[in-house]
Amino acid sequence: MTAAALPRDAHGHVDQLYIETRELRLQGFLLFLVSDCVLFSSFIFAYLYLRNSGQGWPPPGIQRLDVAFAAWNSVVLFGSGATMHYALENFKHGKFMRYMWFLLATIVLGAGFLGGQAYEYNHLIFGEHVTWWGSGIFGASFFTLTGMHGMHVFLGVCYLTVLVLQSAAGVYTRGKFFGITAGTLYWHFVDVIWVVLFSIFYLL
Amino acid sequence: MNAALIERLGAVIAGIVVAVVAFYALYKDWKSTGVENQVFKLMLLLLGLGAILALLAGLNVIGFSPAKGA
Repeated sequence: MTAAALPRDAHGHVDQLYIETRELRLQGFLLFLVSDCVLFSSFIFAYLYLRNSGQGWPPPGIQRLDVAFAAWNSVVLFGSGATMHYALENFKHGKFMRYMWFLLATIVLGAGFLGGQAYEYNHLIFGEHVTWWGSGIFGASFFTLTGMHGMHVFLGVCYLTVLVLQSAAGVYTRGKFFGITAGTLYWHFVDVIWVVLFSIFYLL
Repeated sequence: MNAALIERLGAVIAGIVVAVVAFYALYKDWKSTGVENQVFKLMLLLLGLGAILALLAGLNVIGFSPAKGA
């Protein structure tokens, strides 16, 4: 590790506490992601079990979901994963302005995905074939899982906004940026969960 | 040109871009070490696969497509 990349405290001294606790923070954050993965998995397996125990899918009276729009909206979210990855890479290489632009692009794409989900919900709830949370197994599963995921995306957008403000205030340095690493991990996790949800709700 | 066609076209074009970017990032990070980089590599791989799924759905290769006139 070069001298410039060493984590330093507010007085310019090498931050030993940060060096010693970084791995523990990383492990703690990864455990949080694993626990979130278990939460999603339990709902996903419940959905798959219910889906396979019924007579045909979707249940009578329920319209199939719009794959074309979901594919477009999914790509918007996956694109935000790519921009977030490059935001972190640019920060690591000291390209601060590029990092900020990629981070802002991630926030915009994340908000765009949420807007797309709101549009889809509106279409389902107030559309020709009314489907909502109380519309049997399908409605309950769909709105619970996609709503839970949407809440994660919303919280991620809030987290990334805080990262923008903190970065502008100079909180992170080349040697001390665990918050950005955690944000990137979380955002990738949210993307990967959507790969599964997109597959089971729209493609199967 | 109807809305569904525009959405599919957008999904195909953006899907190709995202898949290429994700796999290129994975290729560049392939030799990196450490726990977080291993997780990043796994996530990038799944991200790329997700983009391919969206691309195939946009092309109507997978997923439900309504019958003509339905």
